[in-house]
Amino acid sequence: MAKQMLIDAYRGKRTAKAPWVPYAGVHCAFLINEPADKMLKDAELLAKGVVNAAKRYKADGMPLLFDLSVEANSVGCDLKWWGDNVPSVTNHPCSSQTPAQVGLKMPTKDSGRWPVIYEAAKIAKPQLEEIDCAMMGLFCGPLTLASHLAGVRIFTDVYKHKDFAHEVIKFAGQIGAVAAQFYADMGCDIIAIVDPVASQIKSATFKEFVAPNCKEAIKVIHDAGKTSSFFICGDATKVMEDVCQLGTHGFAIDEQLNLVFIRDLARKYGVGFGGNLKLTLALSLGLLSSREDAIVSLAAGGQHGYTFAPG
Amino acid sequence: MADRKLKIDVLTLDSVQCAACGYMMESIAALPKDVQEMIEYKEWSIKNKDSVAKFIELKGKVLPTICIEEDLVFESIIPQYEELIDEMAKRAPSQAMKERLISLRDVGFEFDKLQENLAKAGSGLSTRTDSERK
Repeated sequence: MAKQMLIDAYRGKRTAKAPWVPYAGVHCAFLINEPADKMLKDAELLAKGVVNAAKRYKADGMPLLFDLSVEANSVGCDLKWWGDNVPSVTNHPCSSQTPAQVGLKMPTKDSGRWPVIYEAAKIAKPQLEEIDCAMMGLFCGPLTLASHLAGVRIFTDVYKHKDFAHEVIKFAGQIGAVAAQFYADMGCDIIAIVDPVASQIKSATFKEFVAPNCKEAIKVIHDAGKTSSFFICGDATKVMEDVCQLGTHGFAIDEQLNLVFIRDLARKYGVGFGGNLKLTLALSLGLLSSREDAIVSLAAGGQHGYTFAPG
Repeated sequence: MADRKLKIDVLTLDSVQCAACGYMMESIAALPKDVQEMIEYKEWSIKNKDSVAKFIELKGKVLPTICIEEDLVFESIIPQYEELIDEMAKRAPSQAMKERLISLRDVGFEFDKLQENLAKAGSGLSTRTDSERK
């Protein structure tokens, strides 16, 4: 396993081969025969699941957890827990009022599940170091977190009630910066903003609402000497140029984008890129051959800023 | 008021795991009560085989997608409230429903029955390859 090779690829540099990150998420729980909800609430199980998955898949990097409800939960959103999935947010405290009007506060290390995550990092970090595997901290990006806070109305508000949308998304970006600092303090080598719903908006909306509200978190990551990335899901074609210009060292995409298009875009901007093994069509449903899909991804990605990963 | 309801299918990866899919689902589940009375909707998570068949039947191209009356209407774009109402009104099975939908254009999303509505649509419940979703 090769932590530095992964960091180099994330920073858009050439590598001897493509490093590999299996964003295992709650699959880590399945591998240790535990329900997802139990693992995510228990620091020892979370660390055990992450380290076990890193060893099993010979990973060059492994997220401590891949759960975009952590930040929302730490400022007051309730959760529905699932045995085979990540928790989902069930209420939106800002569905009719701004964060200030509701009285929401920035999270601390004692808010929500942050104590569990800190403890899990403390257990997992030395074990991941031993196998030369990067520990990655992933936190919820500003638009997705704003959706958790205000609900689906935020996608109307970005056009119809811009002041409200700006206030909620700015607050979400500030929470992201706090989360980034937490992950830096835990010793994460790579810290990524994960904003899946940012693919579901127009480029102009991304420029106005998402890009400016990532800046504070990116500064936190870079000031801590860590490597930054931006993860986006779905058909993000319309915002990919904007993603490349965010100021992160790189980005990661999912199976719905063409890796050759993405590679060329990443090279144009000199940033790292990761993806995009077909999680659904190959790995989950088996409609495509996983082996052939992997060969196609590796051939397209090459050895210049590319991280081999599920998308 | 026509007896037949307006049919909406939401093609997703999985509305629990994928936030974009979750908010596509929520855009329908948070429609106000008067609109809920006129529509029927389902989540089709591509993680199960019945939903793959639905994806092919509807000629889906990207996830998530909102289909109204079997038209691919919102593909990888989470709609504004008024856009949703307008697209539903265009495809309403009767003139009476069309007029009623248009009259609700200024109401906006409602969140008080969200979880109940998501459960009715089967949100997050059929995300295994062997889940039945017919």
